[in-house]
Amino acid sequence: MKKECIAMLLAGGQGSRLYVLTTHVAKPAVPFGGKFRLIDFPLSNCSNSGIDTVGVLTQYQPHELNAYIGSGQPWDLDRLEGGVHILPPYQQNKGASWYKGSANAIYQNISFIENYNPEYVLVLGGDHIYKMDYAVMLEQHKRTQSDCTIPVIEVSREEAKRMGIMNVDENDGILEFEEKPAEPKSTLASMGIYIFTWEKLKKYLIADEADPKSKNDFGTNIIPSMLAGGEKMTVYRFSGYWRDVGTIDNLWEANMDMLSGEEIDLSNPAWRIYARNPTAPPHYIGDTATVSHSLVTEGCEVYGGVFNSVLFNDVTVEQGALVEYSIVMPGAVIERGAVVRYAIVAENAAIRSGAKIGAPPGMFKNSPEDWGVAVVASGVTVGPGKAVGAREMADADLV
Amino acid sequence: MKDMHGILFAYSSNVRLKELTEHRTASSIPYGGRYRVIDFMLSNMVNAGITDIGVIMRENYQSLLDHLGSGKDWDLSRKRGGLRLLPPFAYAGARRDTAVTAYRGKLEALYAITSYIEHIRQEYVVLADGDLIINLPLEEIFAKHLETGADITCVCLAREPGYESDAYLRTDARGRVKEVLLSGLDKDVYPCVGVYILSKTLLGKLLADSAAHNYVNFTRDVLQRMQGQLNITAYIHEGFSTRPQSVADYFRQSMCLLQPEVRRDLFSRKRPIRTKVRDEASTYYSPESHVKRNLVADGCIIKGDLENCVVFRGVRVEGGAKLKNCILMQDTRIQSGVDLAFTITDKEVTVTKGRALKGHESYPIAISKGSIV
Repeated sequence: MKKECIAMLLAGGQGSRLYVLTTHVAKPAVPFGGKFRLIDFPLSNCSNSGIDTVGVLTQYQPHELNAYIGSGQPWDLDRLEGGVHILPPYQQNKGASWYKGSANAIYQNISFIENYNPEYVLVLGGDHIYKMDYAVMLEQHKRTQSDCTIPVIEVSREEAKRMGIMNVDENDGILEFEEKPAEPKSTLASMGIYIFTWEKLKKYLIADEADPKSKNDFGTNIIPSMLAGGEKMTVYRFSGYWRDVGTIDNLWEANMDMLSGEEIDLSNPAWRIYARNPTAPPHYIGDTATVSHSLVTEGCEVYGGVFNSVLFNDVTVEQGALVEYSIVMPGAVIERGAVVRYAIVAENAAIRSGAKIGAPPGMFKNSPEDWGVAVVASGVTVGPGKAVGAREMADADLV
Repeated sequence: MKDMHGILFAYSSNVRLKELTEHRTASSIPYGGRYRVIDFMLSNMVNAGITDIGVIMRENYQSLLDHLGSGKDWDLSRKRGGLRLLPPFAYAGARRDTAVTAYRGKLEALYAITSYIEHIRQEYVVLADGDLIINLPLEEIFAKHLETGADITCVCLAREPGYESDAYLRTDARGRVKEVLLSGLDKDVYPCVGVYILSKTLLGKLLADSAAHNYVNFTRDVLQRMQGQLNITAYIHEGFSTRPQSVADYFRQSMCLLQPEVRRDLFSRKRPIRTKVRDEASTYYSPESHVKRNLVADGCIIKGDLENCVVFRGVRVEGGAKLKNCILMQDTRIQSGVDLAFTITDKEVTVTKGRALKGHESYPIAISKGSIV
C-alpha cells in the first residue's frame, strides 16, 4: 500500500484564543462560512489535490470532530486503501502520553505513516481558510529536491511583526526563520503548512524526541534544527486567499470575507469545499424580511432584517429582529425585536425578544480598544431585554 | 423495521406534464427547491427503517439513474440489501407482446420482477408510487397493519388532495374497506394515495393469480375484485400530499410550499427528506436584491427581485431582473432586466437580457431543459 504523499492534519489543539467557541469542540470543528467547519478546507484541499490518505491527529474534545469526519465520505476520503484516519494518542508498552506538541504528535504516529511507506509527508493545520493545490507544491518540492517546502504569503511589514517570517536567498531557499520579528527582514509569512521528505523528517523527529529540552513543536524546534542541520529548505509562494482564524476577531473577519465572493470563490465547481450536509429543506425568506449582502443556507426561516451577515443552517430570524455584521451558527434563534450586531452567535443559542447583542465599532470612536466582536456561546439563552455588550462573551444563560 | 421491504413504481409519466417530463419520468421531476419527487417516498421508507428498496423503471430513466446513483445519499448503499434499480429485464422490444411502451399496471410491473420478489428477505412489502409527494409515518402505518391483522393496508387521505386518485375507499367505523370505487364522486369516501402494505406471501399469490387471468391493474383487479375475500383496511393520513399531473398542477403544488404549515408537514424534522448532495456553498443575496416570500436552495447568487418564487440550487439572478410567481430549476441563469411571471424554467435554462415572459396561474409557461430564451 505505498502512497507517494500522505497528509497529517494537526487537529488536537484546544484553540484557547477562540474562548467559549471551543469549550466543547476542537477548533477544527468550529463552523465557518455558512456551510462549513474549519477542517473542511484542508480536507477538501487534500481530496481535490489527489491526496487520498489523511491522518487527523486529535486530542482536545474530539467527539464532535470524530463524528463529523466519520468515514470521510463527504470529502470522498472513504477509500479502500488509505482514506481518512482519526489518530488520537494511544498506549504503548513503554507507557502512554498525550501529544506534547505538534512534532510529538507526528512522532507518536511514525508507525501509521510507515504503513504507507511514503516519499513525502504533508503536515497541515486545522484552522486555516484557503484553497490550495498541494500537488503543485509537491511538484515544486520534487523539482527543487528540497527536504522541506514551506508555503508563504506576502504580507505587509506591519503584519510581518506578528507572524512567522522566512528570510530567503535568490532561489527561494530559506536562510532564516524568525517568529514575530520586531524588525522583519522580509515580508514572506509562513502559512503553517509543510511538505517534508519523509526520511529526513523522521530523522529529525527522532532526534527532537531525544532532546528533553525541546518543546516538540514544528515552528519552534523542527524547522530551526533542520535549518541548522543544513537541509535544503525552500519556500513555495502562494498568492491566493489565506487566513488564520485562531482568534475571535480573525474568525469574524474571515467570515465577513466570504460575503464578497471575490476573496475566495466557494462556488467554483472545479474546486469545491465539501462539508457534511445537514438534512434541511431550502431556506424561506418571508414577507417581512429584508436580506442584503448576506449568506443564507438550508433550513433557515427569515422574517426579520439580515444585513452583511452569515447565517448557518436552521437559523430562525423572527419578524422585527435585526442581524447585522454577524455570524449566526446552526440552529440559533433570534426572536422578535432582538438586535444582533457585530457578533458571533454560536450553535443553538437563543436570543430572546428585545435582547441586544454586540455594538458597532462606531460607538467606540474615543476608545477603539474597548470595541470587539460580542460572542454568545453554544446553547446559551439570552433572556428578553438582556444585553451582551461589545467584546463581551456570554457562556451561561442570561435570564 | 427490519421486516418490511420497499418497492417503488417509478415508470409512470403523464402527457399533461409536457416539458417537465421531456427528459425524465414523473418520479424524477425536480420539486421543492432541492428535491426530486422520488426523494419523498424513498425518504419515507428510509425514515421507517426500511433498508431494502427496489425501484421499478421502464423508460426515460436516465435522469432517475443519475439521481439515485448507488443510493448513498439515502444511506442505501449497503452490502446486504440497500437500493436495487429494476429497469426492464431483457427489454426485447417487438419480440415479446408484453413489450409495450409502459407497464399497463402495477401488477404487470410487479410480474416483470417476479424473480426479484421471490428473493425478498423480509416478510412484508410496502408498494408505493415514486411520483407521490408526501411525508408518511410508515413505521406507524406498519404497526397498525400488524395490529389490525389486515391483509392489505391502504394509505388514504382525510381530505380530497386536489389530484385524481387511483381509488376511493368506503370504510366501516373500524377502517375496514367495504367498497372500492374508481372515482371520487361521493363525499364519504377516502382518496387512496397508492401506498399499500401486504405480506410477501400474499403478494406472490396475487401475482400468480393475476398472471393466470391476465390482470394488470392493482386497484381494479386486486382491491376492487377481491374486496370481499380479503381484509383490506384503510389508514387515514391527515397531512399534505400532492402528485403533479399537469404543468399547472405542478406549479400550484410547488407554490403551496410557500406556506409555513405545508413546509412543516412535508419537511418534518422527525422524518427529514433526503436528496442527492451537491456540495454547494450558501446562497448570496446582494445589496441590490429585493426578496419576499421565496423558497431558495443553496448555491444561488441573487441580485434581482424575487417574489413568490421557488428557486433550486445554483441559480443566478442578475440585477434589475424582476421575477414573480416563478419556479427556477437548477442552474437557471436569469440575465439583467428580465421580467418573468408564472414561468417555470427547467434545468440549465438561460433567459437573456431584457426578455419578458408572462404566463398565468391557470397556464404557467414551462421552458424546456437547457433552452436559451
